[in-house]
This record gives sequence, C-alpha cells and structure tokens, in this order.
Amino acid sequence: MLMLVIQKELRDILTSTKFIVSFASCSLLILLAFVMGAAGYRTEVARVDAARRENLKQMEGQTDWMMVRNNRIFLPPQPLAALVTGVADDIGRTMDVRGRGEIPQEDTRYGEEPVFAMFRFLDLEFIFQVVLSLFAIVFAFDAVSGEKERGTLRLSFANPLPRSTFMAGKLAGSFLALAVPLLLPILIGCAVFTWMGVPLSSDEWMRLALIIGAGLLYFGAFLTIGITISAVTARSSTSFLALLVIWILSVLIIPRSAILIAGRAVDVPSLDDINAKKFRYAEQLFAEDRTAMSAFSPAEKSDPRKMIEEFQKFMGNVNDARERKMDDFSSRLNEERANAQQVQSAVALGIARISPATCFTLAASALAGTSLALQDRYLAQAKGYQETFAKFILGKTGVNPGGGMVFRMRVGDGAQEKPIDTHELPVFEYRPPVLGDVLPAALPDAGILAACIFLFFGIAHAAFRRYDLR
Amino acid sequence: MFGTVLVKELKAVLLTPKFPATFAVCSILIVLSVFIGIREYRTAAARYTEGVDLAAQTLRTQSTWMNLSTTAYRKPDPMQVFVPGVTGDVGRLSSVNSTEDVKLRNSAYGDDPIFALFRSIDFAFIVQVVLSLFAILFTYDAINGEREGGTLQLTFAGAVPRPTYILAKLAGAWTALVVPLLVPVLLGLLLVMVYGVPLGSEGWARCAMFMLASLLYFTFFIALGVLISALTRSPATSFLGALAAWVVLVLIVPRIAVMAAGAAHPVPSIAETEGWIDAFAKDRWDQQMKTLSTRWQARQASMEGMSTGEREAYQQSKQQEWANDDDASRQEVQKDIDAYRVRVNEEQANRVAAQEGLAFALARVSPAAAYQIASMRLGGTGVEMKALNESAMRDYRRAFTQYTAGKQKESGTQGGFRITVDSQTGFHFSAPRERGTLDVSDVPVFRPPSKRFGEDTASALVDTGIIAVLVLLSCAGAFVAFMRYDVR
Amino acid sequence: MNNAPMIEAAGLSKRYEDGVLALDNVSFAVRPGEVYAMLGGNGAGKTTTINLFLNFIEPTAGEARIDGIVTHRDPLAAKANVAYVSENVMLYPNFTAMQNLEYFTRLARRPAPTREALRQALLRTGLAEEAHHKRLRGFSKGMRQKCGIAIAIMKNAPAILLDEPTSGLDPKAGFEFIALLKSLRDEGKAVLMSTHDIFRAKEAADTVGIMNRGTLVMQRSARELAGEDLERVYMEHIAGHNGLAA
Repeated sequence: MLMLVIQKELRDILTSTKFIVSFASCSLLILLAFVMGAAGYRTEVARVDAARRENLKQMEGQTDWMMVRNNRIFLPPQPLAALVTGVADDIGRTMDVRGRGEIPQEDTRYGEEPVFAMFRFLDLEFIFQVVLSLFAIVFAFDAVSGEKERGTLRLSFANPLPRSTFMAGKLAGSFLALAVPLLLPILIGCAVFTWMGVPLSSDEWMRLALIIGAGLLYFGAFLTIGITISAVTARSSTSFLALLVIWILSVLIIPRSAILIAGRAVDVPSLDDINAKKFRYAEQLFAEDRTAMSAFSPAEKSDPRKMIEEFQKFMGNVNDARERKMDDFSSRLNEERANAQQVQSAVALGIARISPATCFTLAASALAGTSLALQDRYLAQAKGYQETFAKFILGKTGVNPGGGMVFRMRVGDGAQEKPIDTHELPVFEYRPPVLGDVLPAALPDAGILAACIFLFFGIAHAAFRRYDLR
Repeated sequence: MFGTVLVKELKAVLLTPKFPATFAVCSILIVLSVFIGIREYRTAAARYTEGVDLAAQTLRTQSTWMNLSTTAYRKPDPMQVFVPGVTGDVGRLSSVNSTEDVKLRNSAYGDDPIFALFRSIDFAFIVQVVLSLFAILFTYDAINGEREGGTLQLTFAGAVPRPTYILAKLAGAWTALVVPLLVPVLLGLLLVMVYGVPLGSEGWARCAMFMLASLLYFTFFIALGVLISALTRSPATSFLGALAAWVVLVLIVPRIAVMAAGAAHPVPSIAETEGWIDAFAKDRWDQQMKTLSTRWQARQASMEGMSTGEREAYQQSKQQEWANDDDASRQEVQKDIDAYRVRVNEEQANRVAAQEGLAFALARVSPAAAYQIASMRLGGTGVEMKALNESAMRDYRRAFTQYTAGKQKESGTQGGFRITVDSQTGFHFSAPRERGTLDVSDVPVFRPPSKRFGEDTASALVDTGIIAVLVLLSCAGAFVAFMRYDVR
Repeated sequence: MNNAPMIEAAGLSKRYEDGVLALDNVSFAVRPGEVYAMLGGNGAGKTTTINLFLNFIEPTAGEARIDGIVTHRDPLAAKANVAYVSENVMLYPNFTAMQNLEYFTRLARRPAPTREALRQALLRTGLAEEAHHKRLRGFSKGMRQKCGIAIAIMKNAPAILLDEPTSGLDPKAGFEFIALLKSLRDEGKAVLMSTHDIFRAKEAADTVGIMNRGTLVMQRSARELAGEDLERVYMEHIAGHNGLAA
C-alpha cells in the first residue's frame, strides 16, 4: 500500500501544471547559475593571469635579485567558488609577500567593484538556498490540507489505509517527485560547466556532488517541514501563510539577525587598534635599529665593496632580530584576535544554525572551500610561500632584506649586467582544500539538516495521527 | 459607490485572519531592522572615532617629517541606519603619505568576514524583500478570489461600473496595507530619534524621500498583485504567477544584470593596474638611479686632484647644493609617477563607471533594483561613496604631503639617513632626527567629503520615477485587464 | 441468507468538544439487500452518523458497527467492508477517471483491477466511454458522482454509505442513479443513504428514518409509508419538534 500511495503522489505531482512551470523555472535558474559561474570564473582567471604578468614585468630588466624586494601573490579563482561564493569575494585576494614580516592583504572583490556588492551573484548556492526552498514550500503547503479540501482524504480513509502509511507515502512520494527531476538540470549544468572550460579535479567533483547532496538535504528539510505544517492546518491558505512566514524567518531573517546580534555581543579587538599598536612598536624598533646602525663599524675599512657587504650582513642580522621581536609582538596580538573571533563565530553561527538555511550555507561553503576557513588557509599558505621566497632570495643574494633597506653598489658605469630571469622566481600555487580537509567542517551542518528531516518526519506522523479527516 | 466598495475592500483585507499575523510579522521586522541598523551604525561610528583618535595619536609618536604617514577614515553616514548599502564592503580607511597612493582598504566585511556570510538586515532590505512579498500575499486573489467565491458575479449583477470597482479595489487594498504599516515605521523613526542618531536636517530630508521611494515600491507590488489577479481565473494560478514574478523581479534580474555587465564590460583588476603603475615607477626609478650615478661620478670628477682637506671643505660647501639637486630630481620622478598614476586611475574610473552604468541600466528593469539604487543614492551608501571618499582623500593627501614637505624644508633636516662609504674615510652612518617627536599641532586634518544633496536627490528621483512609472503601468494594466474580465 | 444487520447503530451518541450534542442515542439497522434513507435537515446529524461509521470521529457513547465489527475498535477491518460516496465527489483533478478508479480500487486492498473491470464499472454508472480517459478537472458534478459510485462498485463492499448522493443532479441523472442504487441493492448490498431529497427517498428506500437535532424521530418501512405523502410526514415530525405550527 505504501508503494501505491507513493505512485499516486508521483503521478499527481508530475502531471500538474504547477510542477511543469515551477520545475522549468528552477531548471532554468540552475542552468543560469552554472553558465554565469563558468563565465565569471573564466573572466577572473584572465584577470589574475594579467595581474601575474604585470607583476613579473616590473621585475624584468632588474639586474640584481636584491632589487626584488617583494612578490605579489594572488588568490586564484576556484572553480567551486564560482558555484558557492561564500566569503571568497570578501577576502583580500592580493598579498604583498616580502622576505619577512606580516603580509598585507588587499583587494577584496566587493571592495574593488562595489557594484557587485550591491546586487551580488546568482550562484548555485543562492538558487538552492532561496529558490529551491520556495519550490519545496509551493508543493508542500497543500500536501495534506489540499487533499482534505479536495475530499480525496476522506475517500482514501474510507479504506483500510493506516495513517502512517499515508503520511510516509506523502513524504517519500513528494521528495522523489520533486528532488529527483532536479538532478537533470544539475547534471546538465555540470556538463555545461565543464564544456565552458572550467577544470574540475576529481576531488572537486566529489565535493560538488556533496554540495548537491547538501542542497537536496536542505530541500528535503523544507519539504518535510512544509508537509508537517500542512498536516496541522485544515485550510491550505493557512498553511501557506504559515510556511511563508517560516520561510522568510529561516532564509532571510534568522541567519542575519543571529549573526549580527550574537556576533556583536562578543568582544573582538578591533583591527585598527591592533594595527596602530603594531605600527608604533615598529617605529620603536626602527628607532633602535638606527642607533645600532650608527654604532656600526666595519672591520675592513679600506674596501668600499667589502664594507658594503659587511654592512649588508650586519643589516641582515639586525633585520632578523627586529623581525623576531616584531613577530612575537604581532603574533600575540593576532592570536588574541583570532581566539576572540573563534568564540564569536562559535556563538553567532551556533545560534544561527536554528535555521536550515544557515546550516546549508555553512556546509556548502565549507565543501567548496569558501567558508571562513578560506582566510586562514590562504594566509597560512602565503606564510609558507614567504619562507620559500625568503630562502630563494637568501640563496641568490646572501641576504634577506625582507623588503627593508637594500644597498647596492653600482660597479663602473653601465657595464652590461645580465638581467634576472624572472622565471626563476618560485611561483605561488594556491592549494585548494581536499575532501578530507573540509568534510569534518561540513558534516555537522549536514547532520543538522538530516536530523531536521528525521525530526519533522516524526512530527508529521504524530500530527497527522490527530488530523481531522472530514 | 466608490466609497462603498472601498470600505468593503478595507474590511475584506483587515478582517481576514491572515492580516493580524502578517501585520505582526512585518511590524516586528521593520522595528527590528531599524533597531539593528541603529546598533550597526553606532558600532561603525565608534570604530570611526576610535580610528581617528588612534591616527592622531600615532601621528604624534612619529619622529621624522620625511616619511610622515597618517590614516584617513571614511566617516559612517547616519543614513546607514536605514540603507547600509555597500558600506561594509568598501574600505574604511586609507594610508596617507608621500609614497603610497590613496586606496581604501580594511572593509568591515574584510576585517570580520563572519558578517559577510549573510550580511545585514536593514529597513531597505525588509521593504525590498519582505514587504513586497506580503503585498503580493494580499492582492493575488483580489479579483479572481471574488470570482471564485461568487461575489464578483453578485456585485456586477448590480449597477457597479467596472472602472469604479477596480479603482476602489486598488485604493482599498492600498489603504488597508499601507496605513497600518505606518505604525511600525513611525516607531522606527522614533527609535532613531531616541537613540540620538545625528541625521541632521539634510538627513531627515533624505529620509523622507527614502520613505517615499519605499512607499512607491510597496505600491507597485500591490498593483502587480491586483494585475495578475485580473489576468487569471483561479487564485492558485495567480498566486504562483505572482510568486514567480516576485522571485524574478526581486531576486534574479538585479543579479543577472550585474553579472552580464561584468561580462560585457570587463574592467582590469586593481592588481593589474597597480602592476602597470609599479612597472612604470620601477622604470623611472631605474632611470633616476642611472642619472644619480652619472651625477655622482661627475661630482667625484670635479674633486679630482684635491687634497683630503680641500675635498672635505669642497664637499661641505657643496653639500646643500648637491642635496637640493638630488632632492629636486627625486621630486621630479615622483611627479612623473604621480601623473601616470592619476591617468591610470582616471581611465580605470571611467571603465568602472561604464560598467556600473550598464549594470544599472540593465537592472532597472526590476523595480527592486531601481529601489535599491535610489535608496543607496539617498543614503549616500552606494557605489559612488567609494569614489567620492577616495577623491577627497587624494585631495587631502596632496595637502598633507605639501605640509610635510614644507615642514621638512623648514626644519632643514632631510630625514631618512645618510650612509657614506669611502675607501679613505670608511663607513659613516647618520640619521638626523628631530629631538623627541614632531610638533604636529597644525597638521591638516581630513574632512570627510560632504554628500551632494542636489545630485543625489536628482539621481534618486530618476529611479523613483521608474518605480512610479511601473506603478502607473501596472495600475493601468489592472484596469484594462479587469475591463475584459469574465466575472462568472 | 444471513440476515444479521450489515450497518448498525446501537445507542450511538456524539457530543463534540464544544458541548454540542450532535447525536443522541441513535439506533437503527440496515440489512443486506436493504436501502435505508436517512432524511433530515441541515445539522440534523446525518453527516455525523456517516462520519462515525467511517471512524472519522469517535462516539461518546454507543457503537457503530459494520458487519458486526465495531468501527472505533477495529477501524481497518470495518473499513474493508464499507464503500463510501461523499456528497461532493472531487478526486484527483490531474488523474483521468480510469486512473482515479484504479488508485482507489487498489487502495481498497482489492486485487489489482483489470482494465476491463474498470471500464465496466464506469459504464455501469452511465459514464460515457469518451470520458473515461479524460482528466477529472473538466467533469460536471454528475460525472464526478458517477466516478464516485464506480469506486464504490469496484470495491464491492457489502455496506455502502452515500452522503447526499442526488443533490445537484438533474432529473435524468437522478433517475439513472436510483436505478443503479436499486440494482446494487438487488445484489445484496446494504445501503445507508443520507438525503433530503424526499422524492428520491420515496422511490428507492426500503426503510425511511427521519433525523432531527441528533435524534431519530421516526422510522418506517416503505410498505408502511406506501399510501402516505412522505413530505407531510416529514414536516410533521420536523415541525412538531421545532414547535412550529403544523
């Protein structure tokens, strides 16, 4: 009998005009998200390449590696970020790496092009979060109350049909009828995505599959909640209103308010304050350096070149010592801030997780590598690159000025010095996270969604047990 | 007759069970959004004051005129309470010194990305997204609901002229939905006054225009609902149609428009343009190096044949002249680089303006986008805010660097340090510094750019006008559709 | 033939949560091969009675029995033996008549029906063959009612409950319906029909019961009523209890 009810549900939904129109619209939007994501990705790749080329160009013609005091690195666009933007556009993408010291991070996408901040992007995550949840509600709201209004509920229960069978069939049938067809435009979208030239590694395909899985869980959560509400209301118009209010609260209001209210309640040291402290400490250290420099007396006083070399080495030591002090100071301040941010994020996101929309966004962005963890990952890899870069410069020039003062002596005039080969410079390759990295972060949120489905599955059954069938 | 139908319509809306629920939700959301807006503004204002103080303090601790550096902060605008716009995405501050160009960095969302995940909940958002949905919720069955219920047929069995009926419907729905919402709106404005948000008279004028735009926007969706209702036979259909229209107009069109503009008018990234500027700078400095080197050799040559004492005396006498020459050519290089930078920035600004213009033009098809553009313009928190602040900061930088250059000349010290390496005299290092810290009491202070009321109002008027036209079109459409509506 | 009652109400009472006494100690029996017409005004308790037999609500006192099975104690077993046609048959608008019939037949736990059996059932109700594969959305009230009866026919249950079956039917459709009803009765079905169509009740019923304000105020067999004007009898019993002048 369960199969019979499921079949009935499938047929009822799939043959309705409502389904054809909504499904067509959703498919269009899903495809649009893939297409625009791919186009956006390609544009961004071109821009990053252009920036990289410019960066190298300014080094060409240099004849001494010592003049290469810094290297600009860029966060390349990630294929999955084109589908799940997350915070990728709020993070500074350009980092100015010197041989030592803190790495200034600049140029957020939205800061650079505020018009995108105004309207933002139509990515797959947005389609899932906003449109698919509405799609679920549009079908769920009259799942039970509609049958009552139609009279088919009475007719069905004039037969030996257990209430639990009816409800289970309703839930399963609706999900199958609505979610499975969505896989079609999704698969087509994936094909289009690749065809438009976006390279996805097998790990990224896996992660994309999981993102879609999370989307289906989210869809299922709204469907289940919707059917439950339908099973506690007698009239479809009531259940629709209730669901719309739930939708507005879950998708639009709760995530934002929770984060704003709870997030601000936690005290996080301001960056301005920290930067000011660092600046002043740096000034202090530079003053000490100057004293040390005036006290410098070279051993070999007759050969200018030897003096310069000795001075360079001396400066190297001075720089190292200063950097160590600065590092200690900075890392203490940075750690304080990072810890406070951890607490803030735990509290704010924890409360926001009441809404399935938050859980979905967090799971999807974790899987796509565009969650809050992106910032830390980029910074950590930039620091790693800094060491590589420092070693390289040290190897080439014997000193690591770290972007500080550099002394060169020009020998003779215009003797043809060989320009450096910029291709020797180590290249920064951003390593996106792999499934193993992101799964632990995404699993709890996916788990909440699954738990939500189970919970409301049970509530739907319980509610329907007392439903007035007349 | 008009009055009768109007009153009936009022009652019909106000007495439905869905009215109290939705009115309660809308009111709570309106007041909540204003409340959160006020708190966010105060956080931003506190951060601003703290930043300005810190900058002043830091200025006082520096010890040399040459590399004197300060920070200019973008002042948060009280209208942020209603329309934060892109204030969280655009940088809050810029370094101001003689070597770097002005660039806004450290956006609020960049510093604390957790708030970027879902962004803000503000009054403009509630109006744009939530109120429009509720308008549709009440009007989607304005006509076809009555048809289904049989009351339409009954009404027109009497002598009610159709124009009267449809006008009364529109007016009734409008009154029933707008008037109650005035309550939470006034509450919100009261909150703004109670919390002492410094709007000022210009701010209140902008606020009034913003409320007008919000009202027009809300009216559009009321009219749209009635229109769709007059085009369909059953409420089930019109409801889905209205919902679809809402999704497309409010959520989809603006985003697509901006993405299309981005694809059609790609703009080189700042990383790239800075790369151009850096390459040019490196080139010029390289040239300068060569020039200096030649000059140095010439100076050495001019001292050929002198004894150690003569040499020293000569160097002493020439020191100031040589220093000035070096300084002059260094300043010329800086000027060249600055000129190039200005050109690059101008071209970039033009490209960005073209892209934005296209994006807005495409997006304005949707009243939601027009409303957003208008409200951000009135709030001074739209895309123009970045350019306005950066140009004001550039002006400030000019004043600041003139000031420091002047002070530097006054004090006579060159700042920085001097290293002389001579095979005979050995190694000498000197870093002339002021004793203690500088007297920066007369340093120019950055004045945040004043918003241009006239321009902003005019621009907002265009977008508000678009919404008004759309309102008229949908009312006219509803009118025409109802004339031919089958009431049975 | 076993003459035990197929549809039986024994002291059936229902008081709703808001205190309204919808049924007060109602007892009657319908045997196989009998049509029982339950007459009464709106709110008399007819629909409540039917709802009790279908276990949509539970009695506050007494029992409703189908084939001896007490419905509120063993609802699934009771429902296996009863077929129901509601007043306004709506069904699934996207499905055809055939598809609706097939679904509800299979829901009745009958073996999967053959195409032919379904077609025959629909034809027996008088639904024209062209309509069999049309979606229910465009059906008139009469056509939908025929589908409802076809569902009852396919279920082939010994007890049939009909709620206002002739309301809204034109004279021809009403006539056809009564003929079908009689043929079902002749097959041995027990039929409980709630109606306020006095004319059709007189035509089809073997027993007539009059309900007023939750009580069965009169019950007579068709023979007993043969010579009388049923309408006058009805008005007497309703009016008398209302206190209206006869």
